[in-house]
Amino acid sequence: MNTQREADLPKVEFDRSWYNQLDTRLGKGGPWDSWDLFSLAIQSEEAALVTDFEEMQCLKHLHGLEPLPHQTDTARKVLFEMRGRAILADEVGLGKTIEAGLILKEYLIRGLVRKVLILVPASLVLQWVRELNSKFGITATAQKKAHSWQSDIVVASMDTAKRDPHKEILLGQEYDLVIVDEAHKLKNKKTTNYQFMLKLRKKYCLLLTATPVQNDLDELFNLITLLKPGQLGRQGDFSANFVVDKRVVKNEDQLKGELAKVMIRNRRGDGQLNFTKRIVRNVPLQLSPEEQALYDGVTSFIKGQYQASGGNLSSMLSLVTLQREVCSSRDAVFVTLVNLSKKLAPDSPVRDQIWELVHVIKAIKENTKAEKTMELIREMNEKVIVFTEYRATQEYLLNYFRDRGLSAVPYRGGMNRGKKDWMMDLFRGKSQVMIATEAGGEGINLQFCRNMINFDLPWNPMRVEQRIGRVHRLGQQNDVRIYNLSTNGTIEEHILNLLHEKINMFETVIGSLDVILERFEKKHSLEKSLYKIMLESESDEELRKQVESLGQSLDSIKQEVISAGDSQEEEGNLEQLLGG
Amino acid sequence: MTMTTEQIRDYVLTYLQTTGCQILDQSPYHVTTKLSPEADKELTGRPFYWGFIERTQTEPETMSFLFVFDPEQYDAAELLKSENAEQERRSKLHAQLNQPVRSSGAVSGPQSESSGPPSGWVQPASAPQAEDSILGRYFGVVRPLPNVGPGRIQREHLHFGSPRLNSIFSAAKRGGSCVYLFEDPGQRQRVTLFPAAYEPWLGVCFKAEFACDMKREELHFIGVSLSSGRVDIHFRERLEGRELTPRLPENIHIEPTSLSLDQGREALEQALMSRLDAVDSSWAIEAHNRLQEELELIDAYYKDLLLEEDPEKKLSAQEQYGARRQEIRWQYEPRILVSAINCGIFHLRPDPLRQIDRYR
Repeated sequence: MNTQREADLPKVEFDRSWYNQLDTRLGKGGPWDSWDLFSLAIQSEEAALVTDFEEMQCLKHLHGLEPLPHQTDTARKVLFEMRGRAILADEVGLGKTIEAGLILKEYLIRGLVRKVLILVPASLVLQWVRELNSKFGITATAQKKAHSWQSDIVVASMDTAKRDPHKEILLGQEYDLVIVDEAHKLKNKKTTNYQFMLKLRKKYCLLLTATPVQNDLDELFNLITLLKPGQLGRQGDFSANFVVDKRVVKNEDQLKGELAKVMIRNRRGDGQLNFTKRIVRNVPLQLSPEEQALYDGVTSFIKGQYQASGGNLSSMLSLVTLQREVCSSRDAVFVTLVNLSKKLAPDSPVRDQIWELVHVIKAIKENTKAEKTMELIREMNEKVIVFTEYRATQEYLLNYFRDRGLSAVPYRGGMNRGKKDWMMDLFRGKSQVMIATEAGGEGINLQFCRNMINFDLPWNPMRVEQRIGRVHRLGQQNDVRIYNLSTNGTIEEHILNLLHEKINMFETVIGSLDVILERFEKKHSLEKSLYKIMLESESDEELRKQVESLGQSLDSIKQEVISAGDSQEEEGNLEQLLGG
Repeated sequence: MTMTTEQIRDYVLTYLQTTGCQILDQSPYHVTTKLSPEADKELTGRPFYWGFIERTQTEPETMSFLFVFDPEQYDAAELLKSENAEQERRSKLHAQLNQPVRSSGAVSGPQSESSGPPSGWVQPASAPQAEDSILGRYFGVVRPLPNVGPGRIQREHLHFGSPRLNSIFSAAKRGGSCVYLFEDPGQRQRVTLFPAAYEPWLGVCFKAEFACDMKREELHFIGVSLSSGRVDIHFRERLEGRELTPRLPENIHIEPTSLSLDQGREALEQALMSRLDAVDSSWAIEAHNRLQEELELIDAYYKDLLLEEDPEKKLSAQEQYGARRQEIRWQYEPRILVSAINCGIFHLRPDPLRQIDRYR
């Protein structure tokens, strides 16, 4: 008999609760369980048995979810090579959440993880809970009250977690797995976020971010120190070995090698991740004389107000909205005008001006844009999504289409989940057209539709990209056709020009759009800059020039960012580094 | 490992039958069932409801489920069924329209014989389906209104990994953890004059988990004879083919035990240990190496930080270092965890040839 175990064999722990149970039942003479259930119990344990250290189990447990190859590869790598501590740094839209879900599921199945903390921005808490449930069959709790922390799998916002009294509770726990979404908020060592994460006790840890480095290589060092202090050496070693300047790397290959041990970054255009093309068609329109009159009327009204206010931009926001709405539909303008006049004193002279504008609106009989849209939809004779910024325009279009025998379904942010899903089903089913005011948020995955019409344009490029991203995403089989409606001689024409010619955002996916914008907006937000130009320029010519110069500076930032990705010698080889 | 749709179906049906659930309808793709109180308590997570029922001694209303094993096949069959029903309804209507009006009053339309639903299916009311299709014509896919109340039958998909199947798995595990059984001797023993002596066995199905930052599992169903002390590491095979019953059969007596339960446990654990030691331990050595590497990495990282002059910084570095070391051990340290799926006492007819000693 071999009783003496060798010293280097792993220690064996026995859970003897079975013995106590059997002993107790023998003492009492029962109760005894059924042989059938006894056999079933062994059968299901056998079926769920993890027979191999390195074979992914989770895919067998998931139905209705078909992860893409790069997502399974990433999960496998994190599990079996990185040993559960990793930065998932895929570009936006490649499914970091799916990857994290696969890893979590695998650990749960293997019984290596029970207690899980998922920290995300407050706005994403419910989305995470829903996705874990619907895609992975994982029941997670959205943190609401102090006792929520007792649940095994909790999703909470970082801002809540790091504050008292929650902080103390969390730091007193041991988490088998901690997942942080939008982890670039952990880049600065001095922040409470960072200090909190440093103290949190965790076995495995996943940090999700599309932008692991935004400004400074130290950010990367800090992130990795949260996962595996020492992976890049000590702070001093790291600076000496790898850093030339904030954004410039040396010994790149070596650093790449070290990074590859803790970070995975899939990028669009890598191998299988080829996206289909974006085909853009700008549709210039000529306003009818009545519509043009309204546009001019609104423009001069706003400028007058701006001058009267002494150039105070912040008080002008609702008026600027008016200027944007006038490019969309008369209905949108009308609603805002009525609301404006309600706020004014009954004897205010501005009221009269507003009523004059309302009369101009009443004179308008046609809607050039709606007519054109109808024509486009009839022409393409396929599914199409129409985006507008305004609720009033959405209503108008729904009616307009209905009157002409075209059924369309609405989609907006204010709808509850069930209604959104229903609208989505209708669009997937019988409806040819969906009219949406919201492009952000989850659930609008329209890869079955390849046409989109921008009825009007947001002035924030990120929102434009969000719109396109609903249709132009992984899984889209066809080239995507984007129609931009733009009315000649209006501000819209300039905006389109800026977005299309300068950022070229319709045709190529700019992975680093957020980086470009962040750098540009260090001074002012792009939208604000546009407002200012619009309100202050004396003539159309001046307006054109101003927008032009705005475009120039955006363009030069873009070139900077791109060249940072292209060249190793020049300043800033970060993108290259991360691309590895 | 995993289970096929057929295995899942057999499993679930066995569970439902064993726990006394009512099977309302079934096909290869689904089963409709009204749960027994026992199964309802295990599966529906309504402790307050059952607490209320027991306190007030009210008649319980258990829940009903439509468990679908193969949604595609099931839906296709349902569709076919509703189409047939629709056709039947139409042909009846048609027949009625063409029927000459008779003075006798009783309209006896010809019964359609051609388009009945396939047998083996319980026919639900076809009205809601017809309604669905009319709405569907206008709105595409329509979400039916949630049907609540006692008559409601909740539809759930039972694929491998689904939460409901997992809950049935755990219910089976809870309900089948400890047994006390006798081999059924069958007709033979009842007619023979000689009483047979049964050997009492302690049988335990162990689960061994080889864990580091990854994990692998093995099942070992081992038995020890409490009368002879013999260990059988293939206890499952020993049980195979024997009918087991909870009651002591007639004309049977039990051999006296020579081992206490505790001694039995020890014998089993020892047998298991020697099995585990024989398993290739390279996984543990590799895990141990990873552990050492990780420890060296942080030793190097914290070396200077631990020598900080500033006491506050030094303290925080010490804390971090200690915590990190602990985390690394937690993550990588190789260990084997042994627990039991279930266990029991089995009284079995002795082997005809006792010389086969399986103990190694």
